[in-house]
Amino acid sequence: MSTTASPQSRDVRVGDELPPFELKLTSTLIVAGAIASRDFMPAHHDPAFAKAQGAPDVFMNILTTNGYVARFVTDWAGPEAILQRIEIRLGAPAIPGRPLRFSGRVADKREAGDECVFEVAVRAANDLGDHATGTVTLTLPRE
Amino acid sequence: MAEPARDEVRTRLEKYVGKPMGAPSLAPDPVNVPMIRHWVAALDDRNPIYLDAAAAAKTRHGGLVAPPAMLQVWGMPSPKLEGIAERGGSPVESAADNVVRALDAEGFTGTLATNSELEFVRYLRPGDRLHVSSELESISSRKSTALGQGYFVTWVTTYQAEDGEVVGRQRFRILKFDPGTIDPSRRKAAS
Repeated sequence: MSTTASPQSRDVRVGDELPPFELKLTSTLIVAGAIASRDFMPAHHDPAFAKAQGAPDVFMNILTTNGYVARFVTDWAGPEAILQRIEIRLGAPAIPGRPLRFSGRVADKREAGDECVFEVAVRAANDLGDHATGTVTLTLPRE
Repeated sequence: MAEPARDEVRTRLEKYVGKPMGAPSLAPDPVNVPMIRHWVAALDDRNPIYLDAAAAAKTRHGGLVAPPAMLQVWGMPSPKLEGIAERGGSPVESAADNVVRALDAEGFTGTLATNSELEFVRYLRPGDRLHVSSELESISSRKSTALGQGYFVTWVTTYQAEDGEVVGRQRFRILKFDPGTIDPSRRKAAS
């Protein structure tokens, strides 16, 4: 994890891959994320309720998914990064016992004043399929 | 070609489109370090700009900021836990007539978030107190999904600082579904 320094924007190229990240998913992690995000929907902490809704188990709430997508990108982009947008589409549920694998690729780079704007295509998948796919837009200072 | 069956539920929902989703609200708490610490621990996020004031001051943020993905967190209402199951899992007792309650009443009690588009106009700092307002953008026609029959509902939430400055927005789409209409073959495929 490179959270102590940001890459130099001149060194970042379209096509660069972000360091992959695997998140081991437990009920505890899902509940911790739900409560830290003040989301008390029972499907995120009550397995019986989630199953009655047709889900296989408690599943990660979208606020936590956004948080992990952001963290995955800033683990790479570092403390100088400023996120502008996180756009995600949700698919397979993120549930206990099925690790979530994050991958990302720099899809676009442009200069805007004293910043560089990057679009990063992000995917978080488990063995059920894609949990979240989308785009994170961020800036880094231009050298 | 056969005329598609008229969807009375969808017709009854039309009055909500383009309208505010309940009254605007003031965030229960200002952006604050204890809630940031709780979030950072849950996410195991080591970016120093959220909790390490000295490290944050050396970056272009110039000091502590809130994790941008917490934007929606600041507007989350305090939950009313009693009766949550009877309300189909809704953690709040909303007196307002809104599309989610209307769909609950029509039997579409399940809720699944499907899309989120977060826009951060600027990073938030401890002390920022947000005003939150949401407007219903669209309701789909009735769809058959892996979770049952339902409707996709899209709204846009705008987050403003106390002086009215827009600091962020979120377009959010949920599927409101009727768990009783699940197609067993599709359920198998989804599990």
